[in-house]
Amino acid sequence: MNYHILKKDELDGFIKKLSKKMKVVAPVAKGTGNFAFQEVKAASEIALQYIPTILPPKKYFMPQREKMLDFDVSGAKPVDKAVVEAEEIAVFGVHTCDLAGIQCLNMVFSERPRDYNYLRRKDKIFLIGLECNDYCDENASCALVSSHIPSGGYDLFFTDLGDRFIIHVNTQKAEELVEGMGLARASHADTAALEKVREHKRSAFKNEVGVDPRKLPEIFAKGVKSKVWEDVGRRCVSCGNCTNVCPSCYCFDMADTINLDMKTGSRNRTWDSCQVETFAAVAGGENFREERSDRQRHRFYRKFKYSVDKFYRFFCTGCGRCTRTCMADISLKETLTSLVKENV
Amino acid sequence: MTNVPITATKPKVAFFDFACCEGCQLQVANLGEALLDILGAIDVVEFREVMSEKWDKDYDVVIIEGSITDHHAEERIKKIRARSKVLIAYGACACIGGVNGMKNSFELDEIRQYVYGKDFKLFDSVKTRPIHQVVKVDYFVNGCPIYPPELVEVIKCALRGLPYTVPDNPVCVECKLNENVCMYDKGVSCLGPWTKGGCNSWCTSNGNICYGCRGEVKNPAKNAAAEVIGKYKLNADLIKNKFDMYNKCKEGDINGGK
Repeated sequence: MNYHILKKDELDGFIKKLSKKMKVVAPVAKGTGNFAFQEVKAASEIALQYIPTILPPKKYFMPQREKMLDFDVSGAKPVDKAVVEAEEIAVFGVHTCDLAGIQCLNMVFSERPRDYNYLRRKDKIFLIGLECNDYCDENASCALVSSHIPSGGYDLFFTDLGDRFIIHVNTQKAEELVEGMGLARASHADTAALEKVREHKRSAFKNEVGVDPRKLPEIFAKGVKSKVWEDVGRRCVSCGNCTNVCPSCYCFDMADTINLDMKTGSRNRTWDSCQVETFAAVAGGENFREERSDRQRHRFYRKFKYSVDKFYRFFCTGCGRCTRTCMADISLKETLTSLVKENV
Repeated sequence: MTNVPITATKPKVAFFDFACCEGCQLQVANLGEALLDILGAIDVVEFREVMSEKWDKDYDVVIIEGSITDHHAEERIKKIRARSKVLIAYGACACIGGVNGMKNSFELDEIRQYVYGKDFKLFDSVKTRPIHQVVKVDYFVNGCPIYPPELVEVIKCALRGLPYTVPDNPVCVECKLNENVCMYDKGVSCLGPWTKGGCNSWCTSNGNICYGCRGEVKNPAKNAAAEVIGKYKLNADLIKNKFDMYNKCKEGDINGGK
């Protein structure tokens, strides 16, 4: 195992050195208990203790609005050129729930036909994880889906050991970086301290819904007509907040726009949400998920059933964002608990 | 300085205003570089705020600001409609009645008397209506004022003969994409959850609440309103009053009038 050590007072130097190589983004406090990933130049700007950011770091992998191609229709034959706007970015301080979210997206966008815009951007992103030694708040359900413990998907991974960070080096690129910065190798005492953190976590993090997660797909299979969906549907605003903030939601809409010269233009994609009324509307006026209850149910099935059938993993990473952002107080944990009660 | 020659292929476009503050026209004048591009694509033949020329033939496109608040306006908009191939309503007053609609909260004669005094009968006035409740509207550009990039999109659609669909998602969608801290988290009530987006959360991205100037989404979440009001301990009347500022012209809301 390849572990290095960074003293806390050396974090600023680390960030500054890193930001000379590439743009560094990290969680920053935005007030009223909200945080967001944004560019930082010094460690003092970073919120090391933070609850999941408003938007997950997926925004660097698949930006909210993204140009896909430029076109020109002035000639006899239309001409187009693909566009990938990607820059080297280091994302610092990514919690394990969000690393899990990126692992989900990697699977989705690597499927054929591959999404080169996503994959090219991913190649340029240097991911630095940061362990949660304790729960961020009561909305998280990371232990249910086992995303509270790191399981790859990063270049470097930081764990707070009090006066220092122990850093797991997971990639060649990361190895070169820490070697270049001359970070000391971790001692036995350091790895023992890390083991102590993990031991504490095993007792501090408890399955938040109290159901064997392996039973969830079966429970969902039984719960299609559950009253739970009517209840959440009745309260739903259809604002799309829950999906926009979800680290594993990836739906998008694509549209062409022409410039005022009426000759050139571009094709752009924007995040879309299955929760908004128009999402499943098709030509002729039919809407496959007209009711809010249908749309909410769809969201939960995309996290706990369909993704298991297709990718063999939950697409809920337990970050708790959908619950925190819901103005109508729809809670993922409560919804799951009610569904489980009805269908075990 | 020589004027750019008017080519026959350039569509004849006219701007007109009814009951409004002319703020949307100001937004057009403020478009900057995009305005030059627009002027390259169209031929503006009437625009009271910026030119004195008039046009006596038919219009390819008319862009209408303001709402209909008296009989004279009603006759005038009907005449304009008869002379235009395409009609774009822009701004909250033209699209949903806007702040002029607050008049509809009162008995007409009562409010006339309040405004004009004892001789109020000398001053013509009818219930406020947005343009589409009087004549057919082909394109809507919502907002108070309009969001300039949306007007440009709509003009492009009109010039190409394509439909423009007003987004029917709550403002929250764009607000979240812009990663703003939710106004409700800040302890202020915002109309974003029930208001049509398309403005790129212009107000909330700049620290203000959403005032609902683009009108309600087609299917606003009625039950959810109670949940939201409960969660954040809000005053339901205050929210209703905020809605009434822009949204008082929903009666007989059929495009093209009766």
